[in-house]
Amino acid sequence: MNTKLISIVAALMLGVAGCGGSGGGGGGGQPPPPPPPPITMAEAYQFLNQATMGATLDEAQRVIGMRYEAWIDDQLRKPASLQLPHVQSLPLPPFIGQLQPDRIDIWFRNALHGDDQLRQRVAFALSEIMVVSQLGVLNNYPYGLASYYDTLAENAFGNYRDLIEDVTLHPAMGVYLSMLGNEKPDPVNNIRPDENYARELMQLFSIGLVELNLDGTVKTDGQGQPVATYDQSIIEGFAHVYTGWTFAGSPVFRGARPTLTNQVIPMQLWQSFHDTGSKTLLNDFVVPAGQSGNLDLQMALDNIFNHPNVGPFIATRLIERLTTSNPSPQYVERVATVFNDNGRGVRGDLGAVVKAILLDAEARSNPGSDTDGKIKEPLLRLTQLFKAYNATSQSGRYPLGFAYVVFGQGPLQASHVFNFFSPFYAPPGEINDRGLVAPELEISTEYLNTYVTNYFFYQTFGLNQTNQNLNEDDVYIDISEEMAIATDVDALINMVADKLLGGQISDTLRNETAGMLALIPETEAALRAAETIYFVTTSPEYAYQR
Amino acid sequence: MKKINRRDFMRTSGAAAAAVTLAHTPGLAWSQGVGTTAPFPDYKALVCVFLHGGNDSFNMLVPNTTAEYNVYAASRQNMAIAQQDLLPINPVSAGGSNPFGLHPSMTGLQGLFEAGKASFVANVGPLVEPTTKDQYFAGSVTVPSQLFSHNDQQDQWHSLKGAGTSKTGWAGRIADLIRQSVTEQQMATNASLNGTILWQSAEETIAYVMGQTGPLQFEGFSNDPNNILYDQRQAFQRIVEAQYGSVYERGFAEIQRRAIAAADTVSEAIANAPVLTTVFPNSPLGRQLETVAKLIGNRDALQMQRQIFFVGIGGFDSHDDQVQNQPNLLGGVSASLTAFQGALDELAIADSVTTFTQSDFGRTLTSNGDGTDHAWGGNQVIMGGAIQGRDIFGTYPVLQIGGNDDVGGGRMIPTTSADQFAATLAKWFGIPDADLDIVAPHIDNFTQRDLGFMV
Repeated sequence: MNTKLISIVAALMLGVAGCGGSGGGGGGGQPPPPPPPPITMAEAYQFLNQATMGATLDEAQRVIGMRYEAWIDDQLRKPASLQLPHVQSLPLPPFIGQLQPDRIDIWFRNALHGDDQLRQRVAFALSEIMVVSQLGVLNNYPYGLASYYDTLAENAFGNYRDLIEDVTLHPAMGVYLSMLGNEKPDPVNNIRPDENYARELMQLFSIGLVELNLDGTVKTDGQGQPVATYDQSIIEGFAHVYTGWTFAGSPVFRGARPTLTNQVIPMQLWQSFHDTGSKTLLNDFVVPAGQSGNLDLQMALDNIFNHPNVGPFIATRLIERLTTSNPSPQYVERVATVFNDNGRGVRGDLGAVVKAILLDAEARSNPGSDTDGKIKEPLLRLTQLFKAYNATSQSGRYPLGFAYVVFGQGPLQASHVFNFFSPFYAPPGEINDRGLVAPELEISTEYLNTYVTNYFFYQTFGLNQTNQNLNEDDVYIDISEEMAIATDVDALINMVADKLLGGQISDTLRNETAGMLALIPETEAALRAAETIYFVTTSPEYAYQR
Repeated sequence: MKKINRRDFMRTSGAAAAAVTLAHTPGLAWSQGVGTTAPFPDYKALVCVFLHGGNDSFNMLVPNTTAEYNVYAASRQNMAIAQQDLLPINPVSAGGSNPFGLHPSMTGLQGLFEAGKASFVANVGPLVEPTTKDQYFAGSVTVPSQLFSHNDQQDQWHSLKGAGTSKTGWAGRIADLIRQSVTEQQMATNASLNGTILWQSAEETIAYVMGQTGPLQFEGFSNDPNNILYDQRQAFQRIVEAQYGSVYERGFAEIQRRAIAAADTVSEAIANAPVLTTVFPNSPLGRQLETVAKLIGNRDALQMQRQIFFVGIGGFDSHDDQVQNQPNLLGGVSASLTAFQGALDELAIADSVTTFTQSDFGRTLTSNGDGTDHAWGGNQVIMGGAIQGRDIFGTYPVLQIGGNDDVGGGRMIPTTSADQFAATLAKWFGIPDADLDIVAPHIDNFTQRDLGFMV
């Protein structure tokens, strides 16, 4: 953070103590109601905060005009905005890890300006389910990470079976969960296959630890106990399957090194390092002995793909990332049913799954109960603000490589394969007492909440277009529209509420903001605009995704 | 699992009903009860150093007699530490014949051990009841659910949930049990410098989460009523104190309220802490422990009587490149622990602070080529002036593949349970014997309720 901003902001704020202000009229018109019932601005905002990297007025107008399904169908056809071509286009720095901020930069460019908004949002969701991370062994793989994210984006509306194969063979995943270089047993030296990927592909990316009903509830045995989906012996079976793979084109299997090219193409099989014994997998399926490593892999991924848990498991994970933390079993079942069969006999159609999640009545109520919706992910609070206020920098870059420090999350910046937060996290108090979950609140600690709040303080008061001392990479927002009407308290609050909240603002937030505006002179247009945006972006209602 | 029942507390005091309401109320969450139990006459702190990912602790504490080392080396093959590189230690109970050695990177810990300021608990891990290999394979005993899985085994260490489920951790349950004895405290009993953690989750009390160097203060807030930033703070507070329609807004607003309530006082306590001459490593773990030392040093400013700190570092999930990475990992732990103990000595508070490690699990004795996989039992460090120093508690297992302690691949069945480990610490901390089963739900399944490592 630009430290001089703090003093600038403080001086500005101190300078205006004790002054008064005045309010004025405001308010917008309502469109006439033609059949079918028109989508309201608030409803369009709710939808776009589920389906994009942040709702904007312009996109809300398009949703209102097109209606939901046509908007989704249009988005499903958009090709992916990619990261790798950008990262590859840059000159190589002395240490390749220095390209990580550029990888973050292109993530923001695609998030803010890509016209494949739904694809970018689903890719972000997938990146929180099939986790690899810059933090740790992949810090020197910016190409590999960009390529991995592109893999998620390109498969976001494809088939889940293709997705898990591409993820499995991606060298970034190979390095992260150590399937790369995994080799057949060597009993003499007490060496056996690495179990890391075998375990996490099942536990986190596909079926989970316990048998699920179609509606996502846990199956129980005669004693009321959950039924485990697999045991250690099955993990060992898969661990033997995942032997023999390393960087493509490497001259050696053991000690294979990453290159700029081999970290962005699928791993390659060395049959001589593959275990050719038979392997017992899920549901007593046996991979016969004597096969190629590739055939073993195909059969193993089919075995996982066809496990009945995948539908409810992936439905639940994606619903939690896109629409609500606490879906009803019926909602999960409706989506899982689409996973199992998209209506044309195809299992695993992720485009159909995403569409089912977004068009479901439970996602489209506004909101129906106090458990509908979710906490808006902190990074999405930032991208929404950036989109609404045309954020840019003098360099045109968004190299916010520190995102994970401030927001507790950043693009491919989880601290481990379990993502930024657990899907089962319930904070003490009401949410825990009622048996609900709020995963995002695991990173809403006192510490990180303060960090995010302070960031919005700097962003609104300091990092806006009126600042004459911006560094070339400082990402700033444009608050000139607010400044133009800043003397009119109601109009100012309404404008910010429209841009950031779809017009739905609580009386408390409106009144408290107006109270602060009364203390800031009418001549201080930038401060008045910033104050309003600061109060809205740090409010509980902005942190709530309806 | 036996739960702490709110009604039990209500019966103890007419005012306790108010305490229940206040426990989740902003600003008052720190004064954790208004019961009748007398306050503690002294200060004590527990400091948990969590090694995320599963520390390969059979390379941290290694058998050093010829016969036992050879078994170790035969099992570990290319993961073994060369015997001549081990740092010899002389446990009291072993008669001083160097029967164990430490990883060569842990010179600081070797010094603490030999000075009587550190000990180990050998092969400890989650158990529901004493478990032999035969019983394990016969399924004749209950074992913890989802063995060998990271997050589940972390949860086991945190919650001691056994085969069941739990939404509270054993540190959280301790804080609940003592909340009526620490009513003057200006900060929560439980504090984490490493994120939200199940270990500190509780039914009645709340854990406070700060950063490596303490809390952040809110920008743009002033306590001077003549400053507009005072109005800003007041307005901000009214916004987060308002009523909201969704559970998510309410949950978020509650955290914001707590953050505002504590940021100033805790930051001030750290800023005004006694200056330490001890130099801490400039590492995530070093910074966290330095902050803990400052808070302990200035405990009186916050009227603290009992504190439970959580610090942690990652990187221990050594599936790959273990031989290359382990020296830095274990060396870093050793250096940070050494500095922390030095600071506590400097503050003359070492007898009141007990530090210990926990980790997801031990790792397989066998190799996967260049690393190791998830296992079960492991060795943990205990440190401080109130422990029985220079010793190894529990039973060090036979490190033989296919031996009596191995359930496959060199996964050691714990010979001491995490419940016993927790109960021993809890008892020292002031939990009466009758309540130890609330802290450690399976403690009654083990004959030794107290491992004897506390003075």
